[in-house]
Amino acid sequence: MNPFWSMSTGSVRKRSDTEEKTLGGELRTSPLRASAKKQLPSIPKNAVPITKPASPATSSQSTNGTHASYGPFYLEYSLLAEFTLVVKQKLPGVYVQPSYRSALMWFGVIFIRSGLYQDGVFKFTVYIPDNYPDGDCPRLVFDLPVFHPLVDPISGELDVKRAFAKWRRNHNHIWQVLMYARRVFYKIDTTSPLNPEAAVLYEKDVQLFKSKVVDSVKLCSSHLFDQPKIEDPYAIIFSPWNPAIHDEAREKMLTQKKKPEEQHCKSMNVSGLSWVKPGSVQPFSKEEKTMPT
Amino acid sequence: MERMSWLSKLTPRAGGQRAPRSTSLQPPVTADPETCLMVFKNHWAQVLRILERRGSKPAPDDLSAVRNNTYQMLNLLAEDRPWGDGDKDRSQGDGDVACGPILEFVAAENLLERLLCWHLQGDFTEERKVEQLKLYEMLISQARQPLLRHKPVLAPLLRLLSVCAEPASAPLENSLVLLLNQLCVSVAREPAILELFFHSHTDQGPANLIIFSLLIPFIHHEGARGQQARDALLLIMAMSASNRAVAQSITDNSYFCPVLATGLSALYSSLPRKIEVRGDDWHFLRREDWIGVSSLVLFMNSLEFCNAVIQVAHPLVQKQLVDYVHNGFLVPVMGPALHKTSVEEMIASTAYLDLFLRSVSETALLKTFLRFVLLHRHDNTTILDTLVGRINSNSRLCMVSLSLFRTLLSLNCEDVMLQLVLRYLLPCSHVMLSQKRAVRDLDIYGKTAAKFLSLIPRCCRPESPPPPRERDEEPPSRARGHGSPGADAPPAPKPSTPSRLSFFMRQASAAPAEAAAPRSPGPPAGSPSRPGPRDEVAELDRNYLEYLRDARHSIDRCAWACRVWSAPYDGEDPRAPGPTPDPDSPPGRPPGPPTPRTKKRGLPEEGAREVPGGPLGSDEPSAGGPGADPRDGGTLVNGAHGAAEPGRPEGDVVVKKVRRSPQGEGEGGGGAPNGAPRAQPPGWEPLPSVDSLLEELLARVPAEPPGAGVSIETFTEELREIEAEMQNGGVGGAPATPTEPPEPPLSHEEEEAFASFTALPEGDAGTGRAPPRPPDPLAQVVASPPRAVGPPPSQPFTGPFVSVLFGKLENMPHNSLYVNFLLTGLVAQLACYPQPLLRSFLLNTNMVFQPSVKSLLQVLGSVKNKIENFAASQEDFPALLFKAKKYLIARGRLDWAEGPGAVAALRRSDTLARSRKPSLGELLLRHANSPTRARHAAQLALQGLRDGGLHPLAPPARHGEALRVRNAVYCAVIFSEFLKELAAIAQAHAVTSPFLTE
Repeated sequence: MNPFWSMSTGSVRKRSDTEEKTLGGELRTSPLRASAKKQLPSIPKNAVPITKPASPATSSQSTNGTHASYGPFYLEYSLLAEFTLVVKQKLPGVYVQPSYRSALMWFGVIFIRSGLYQDGVFKFTVYIPDNYPDGDCPRLVFDLPVFHPLVDPISGELDVKRAFAKWRRNHNHIWQVLMYARRVFYKIDTTSPLNPEAAVLYEKDVQLFKSKVVDSVKLCSSHLFDQPKIEDPYAIIFSPWNPAIHDEAREKMLTQKKKPEEQHCKSMNVSGLSWVKPGSVQPFSKEEKTMPT
Repeated sequence: MERMSWLSKLTPRAGGQRAPRSTSLQPPVTADPETCLMVFKNHWAQVLRILERRGSKPAPDDLSAVRNNTYQMLNLLAEDRPWGDGDKDRSQGDGDVACGPILEFVAAENLLERLLCWHLQGDFTEERKVEQLKLYEMLISQARQPLLRHKPVLAPLLRLLSVCAEPASAPLENSLVLLLNQLCVSVAREPAILELFFHSHTDQGPANLIIFSLLIPFIHHEGARGQQARDALLLIMAMSASNRAVAQSITDNSYFCPVLATGLSALYSSLPRKIEVRGDDWHFLRREDWIGVSSLVLFMNSLEFCNAVIQVAHPLVQKQLVDYVHNGFLVPVMGPALHKTSVEEMIASTAYLDLFLRSVSETALLKTFLRFVLLHRHDNTTILDTLVGRINSNSRLCMVSLSLFRTLLSLNCEDVMLQLVLRYLLPCSHVMLSQKRAVRDLDIYGKTAAKFLSLIPRCCRPESPPPPRERDEEPPSRARGHGSPGADAPPAPKPSTPSRLSFFMRQASAAPAEAAAPRSPGPPAGSPSRPGPRDEVAELDRNYLEYLRDARHSIDRCAWACRVWSAPYDGEDPRAPGPTPDPDSPPGRPPGPPTPRTKKRGLPEEGAREVPGGPLGSDEPSAGGPGADPRDGGTLVNGAHGAAEPGRPEGDVVVKKVRRSPQGEGEGGGGAPNGAPRAQPPGWEPLPSVDSLLEELLARVPAEPPGAGVSIETFTEELREIEAEMQNGGVGGAPATPTEPPEPPLSHEEEEAFASFTALPEGDAGTGRAPPRPPDPLAQVVASPPRAVGPPPSQPFTGPFVSVLFGKLENMPHNSLYVNFLLTGLVAQLACYPQPLLRSFLLNTNMVFQPSVKSLLQVLGSVKNKIENFAASQEDFPALLFKAKKYLIARGRLDWAEGPGAVAALRRSDTLARSRKPSLGELLLRHANSPTRARHAAQLALQGLRDGGLHPLAPPARHGEALRVRNAVYCAVIFSEFLKELAAIAQAHAVTSPFLTE
């Protein structure tokens, strides 16, 4: 297997940039990593109910309050905030990206680095209910049904519900779903499985289970370069290693660890001031001991 | 603000000087060196003949002969080159001094020295001095070889300089400075020469840098002379950076730093004491304002020079200068200036301080200024407290002070924020104990935003728009968003988002406006689809996206800037000094040892209510300050007016009574004085239920004067008072009005402001209740003992700054338009800070505060009520509101026509600045009031308001009423925009990139 998978986010980069600017304001992060991550997703078709109050014809508006019409902003920002939380979590081997078409649909890929599913690269899609955050928990569906007790062998859907019986706003976040999705491949649970065969094999014949898993991992890998299941400009697309493109990008990623910061810096070369000694709450407590020469 | 950059200016000036002058000379002799030498010797022979005619007084003929010959000789010397010619040889002379033939001859004969001696023997008139200075200047500037390293040249030069040390006529000084400047340029080119200057002894005693000491007197001169002197000095300063000996000589043996710093004091004292402006929106000094005022220009030049010196000089010099600025200018001059008793002078000094803070770019210098502002005590009050208190005044002084704080906040300085706000929040005593951990919570579902938006007064919500022309029913978002098929919709470059948002933005508006260009690029000039006034006004209802973008930008900026801070201020780090609160004791807590908070509490606000000997128990309603005029502005507690408005039960009062009761019953009562049956105390609940409870709780906030009946009563009460007041012939005569009187025309107002100001907190604090402090400001802060007086220690206090801002906010309907611009801008600025302590205090509606702590939301809720009450009382409110919006948009558009966000920026304070095109410089000292574009437009737009009986020339009573109405109507507009801005900020906080803060 080629260890250097390359990911690209589809062809519509340019559009994404403009959109990012429009919505994200001065969001000038590294184009490499961030344009994919930080774009403010749009609201999908099925979000209609939320927009409804905005309809100007309703005379109820005056009584209902303007703020009802800001609904879409709340949803978009909530999801963007969720996404920010995901970024903060830095889940190892898990990458997600909201779709271009809908903020309620996130594309993702998970890299399993050890254990039974080692070398597994599983693409998936997260579906967030449109009444988020008050609805059910998000659904997570693998593009290909991985052989796993908790993954539906037909639909590829992961049994998320068992971990989030009731989705509680403020307490439950999408990063938790992703973390859970990663965890199931390291710690296998066989109770009330969606794939009974896998569960039974795991319990009764681990060897066979293992070989089935290996097959499943191979199958997934062999389909890695397929066109994404859902056509979307921000869908995650894998392509074979192309030194002309990827060598340089890889080089950049490995060498310029600090780059993203500097790129921020470019757009805002502002620096605050502080003369407070760490741990102190007194102003000007940090006295320069030696003067710079 | 343009920051100072001296060096960039310097380089061209130093180089460019020469060219024009050389043309005025005779064309250089271009003969071969041998011939030149011969000619030179010839001249010298002639001079020598005169020189050697000893004893007798030189005849006038002799003088001119010497003059002419010397001129020729020095020209030849300037053209002289080392043997072998060629430019390459010139540089080779570093180690071994290679000289040209003429120079060799000059050295051998000690020719220059002898010449000078001859001059000195005779009657060395000023005229002749000037001549000599000019000759040397020419020689140095035009020489083809380094001359100064040769003693035979340098020695007479230094001798000449020492002769010119005494003050003299302008021409002499001009020549002197020019020569000195030239010397500095040469020295800068060849630092080795500097040593020679050191070692050569002159009549001036131990040779410190004579060039230098000669230049110092010109530091503060105006015009070209001063500029040349400063440039020259700066070159030396730059040299000092790499030469400790020079630095030491500057600090130990020269008066450079003291002269420079105390010169600022002298210059400051000649600044106008009074800034005379008629424009009622003026609030800070822009460059255009001061560039026409020579004394201010002079001061700024010197300040700029200080800044430049600190930028380039050796740390030794830097430190000395900074210290002198602090002790020789800020403390003795700026301090008292800020405390002058006349309002005019306070306005001027505050505006000056603001200007200085904006202009200084060097961190070390800025630090000194900030240190002065934050820590220096004048009459026992820190400058900061004084300035904070002035926000409370009801005048231009308030605006100028707000501007100053805008500047301070824009520095993103941890020390400033610590002193202003954070240290009061650090103990977390303002929140319920159980809520402490919620400080870091982010509101990711936009609840806060929803809350803020819900406070938009009903009367300001978008009118139901005319029925849309025709709306495509089905999946409108995509179709519309992508290609904008609308016939006349211009291909908007920016809102090309496919998101539903863009659609929403347009959809929410009236159909005709849909054709208008989206806000961002601004209405295309001359476009036929330019929206009509009604549409423009309607734009205000749809500019939320702009606010979101701005909020994102501001927060990102701020978060990025604050990465240099020492701590995250998240409730954990740093810890507040002093003991942690005892979890068993109810909200009240024992008076801690000198935490900043306890110390601070004693300061301004509470002191006003101190009753000698009277116990000031926590259960005493704050309204009960005996004898205190409830409206004197001194009774702000945590942003709440301690005094209840008559006829209106005040939340705080009730709450405090409740506080003695068991906690379970008390804590919930914050917003609901009527004590509706309450569920569990929120404090003990896990978060989710707190949420729901709070929602209920907060739902009551807007209804704070409980029951409509009461608030209407209040309102009529207010009305009656105002009427009474107007019958008294206007504003001044009614000090006891329970409501802040509407702003009278400025002149009155400022006097009144002064009156109210003198009653203000810091005045009290300054009466010497505290023992005199030791001079070291730092020690004071650390060691100041807890005050024996002040508010009960159990009462959390969020600091005077927050108090004053909240108090002023609460008064929004009575504030002038411009005060509200600045005020809301400042609060928004504050809200952009990412520190969880501050963010949660201002923006987290889930937090349960201690009952006595007023939240921003509560304050805004009360403003909302006031506006709604006003609207209800004003029949033509919708019309007035529409006109006000129109006016504000027109005003914003005047100078923003091309700029983006004309509408979104409506309530931003920089719009205020920009909408004032005419230079204040001309206005500043003359009492002229030129009709300007902006004002003209304003008058036009205001016509509408005036038609409603608001003519400025109406009799006082009517005028007061007009002002009241106008302020309230403007306030309604600003307030609504402000809420949108806050909502956007609240939302943007949740999505701040983790990369910014990590």
